[in-house]
Amino acid sequence: MSKVKKKHRLTDAKEPNLLEDIFPYDLPPRIRLEGPAVEYIDGKPVEFDFGAVKDRPILITDTTFRDGQQAMPPYTVEQMVHIYDLLSRIGGPNGVVRQTEFFLYTKNDRETLDRCRALGHEHPECTGWIRAVKGDFRLVKEAGLRETGMLTSCSDYHIFQKLKFRSRKECIDSYCEVVDAAFEAGVRPRCHLEDVTRADIEGFVLPFVDRLMEMSEQVPDELSAKIRLCDTMGFGVSYPGAELPRSIPKLIYKLNRECGVPSDRLEWHGHNDFHKVHVNGATAWLYGCDFVNTTLFGFGERTGNPPLEGAIFEYIALKGATCGIDTMAITELADYMRSIGLPIPENYPFVGRAFNTTRAGIHAGGLRQDERIYNIFDTAKLLNRPPRVAITDKSGADGVAHWLNEFFGLKGDDRINKIRIHKLARWVIDQYDVESRLTTISDQELEVKAKEFFPDYWEKYKANVK
Amino acid sequence: MATVEERVKAITARKLRVDEVKLEDNFTADLGAESVDSIELVAMFEEEFGIEMDEDAALAVQTVGDAVKFITNVCKEQGVEIEQ
Repeated sequence: MSKVKKKHRLTDAKEPNLLEDIFPYDLPPRIRLEGPAVEYIDGKPVEFDFGAVKDRPILITDTTFRDGQQAMPPYTVEQMVHIYDLLSRIGGPNGVVRQTEFFLYTKNDRETLDRCRALGHEHPECTGWIRAVKGDFRLVKEAGLRETGMLTSCSDYHIFQKLKFRSRKECIDSYCEVVDAAFEAGVRPRCHLEDVTRADIEGFVLPFVDRLMEMSEQVPDELSAKIRLCDTMGFGVSYPGAELPRSIPKLIYKLNRECGVPSDRLEWHGHNDFHKVHVNGATAWLYGCDFVNTTLFGFGERTGNPPLEGAIFEYIALKGATCGIDTMAITELADYMRSIGLPIPENYPFVGRAFNTTRAGIHAGGLRQDERIYNIFDTAKLLNRPPRVAITDKSGADGVAHWLNEFFGLKGDDRINKIRIHKLARWVIDQYDVESRLTTISDQELEVKAKEFFPDYWEKYKANVK
Repeated sequence: MATVEERVKAITARKLRVDEVKLEDNFTADLGAESVDSIELVAMFEEEFGIEMDEDAALAVQTVGDAVKFITNVCKEQGVEIEQ
């Protein structure tokens, strides 16, 4: 690496530069990309224009009812219909959440599908998910679906160890028979390349996709095969320079540019076994996949899938606008999931109960002066979740004052200053110093004390609140 | 009537449970005042003198001597009679 050492001169300022063009606060921070990115593929540099993502028709798809349900007890029909309704709200009029997929095997599966479609939402479009078995297309056809996913596993772990094919050729022939059956049934096949990040890319995946592309040339565009890249075990790696089969950039390049699968027929489906799931999905967008497949709150097989809400905020950050997305519905969905007994970790981004709660007094002091200091964006405006402080021995008077003002809903000059909250702050400190408490003080306990120490405020702001 | 200095020292000693308070004492470093002690002290001074102090300015005061000067000024501004 050549030497690039140089001196850097201080740009003195008397006024802060808050970089508001990148951190607008009323939106998630923008991700502005300078291109081109270069990846060496087969020894040659290949350029990728990341900046184009702002104008590309990238979208989100959902598998909450399929992969999401593989990780938990089944939802009831009512629950799925309600979730579907809220998914539609999140995606907004532009259908940013474009599709969601359903099992089709049981009476409940089919009833759910019918009731979701009866809501009349254009998006998410309902698609199916079936085994790569010819007879299963009858289910898709009967359900009146235009598209279905089908398992076309492609690592030798699956081909030989699981599915017991005698050769790769036999495997491909079998898959292609099912794809033909889909075409004949007038259903668009979405071929799920299971375990692709552990497959022989040059020796199996690309020849198979070449054949799918050839077959697709024989049918109308709306039936042409889509390709879902399934990182079944979370082995995918986003870094430039990573090798196949784990390299997401190289995988997408090979399919997109060598096999000629258009971006709008390429989808990424990840798993979180190595904590890479969200970034891997976003990486797929940048390198040429138009669709990232997600589940609500990342619920999914084992460690889960790309979280839909994470993809939503990534989308807004890349586009620089909400594009009709209703982010408030994310909070409603999280509340709903909790209400039906599905736990969301407290510190889970965007929706956990404590995702924007600070416990340190020094942070609470920052929040009190300007909430932007310790809040990622205007979480009250976008998620109906103003920043909060949890009260412990580390909260200090700033933390207690912040909690109290949020509790009474006081803003600006109406806020109660630190001096006026000294009795409550003393009570908090004594819980630890005198009573030897070791736990966080709950909101319920604080509310009792707020009523005791601030009866006037209670009367004015809380007495009539049901 | 006791002077501002005497009243400030008496409240400080009582609140922070120290025997002797000197003008040059720093509330935090010398007298051990913690976050909540500081706001309690300010509240006690307000009650003692019948004044209202600006929160940030009052909490920025570091030493007993500076507190005496600060309170004296606030009393004058707010028309409160004091013994200097």
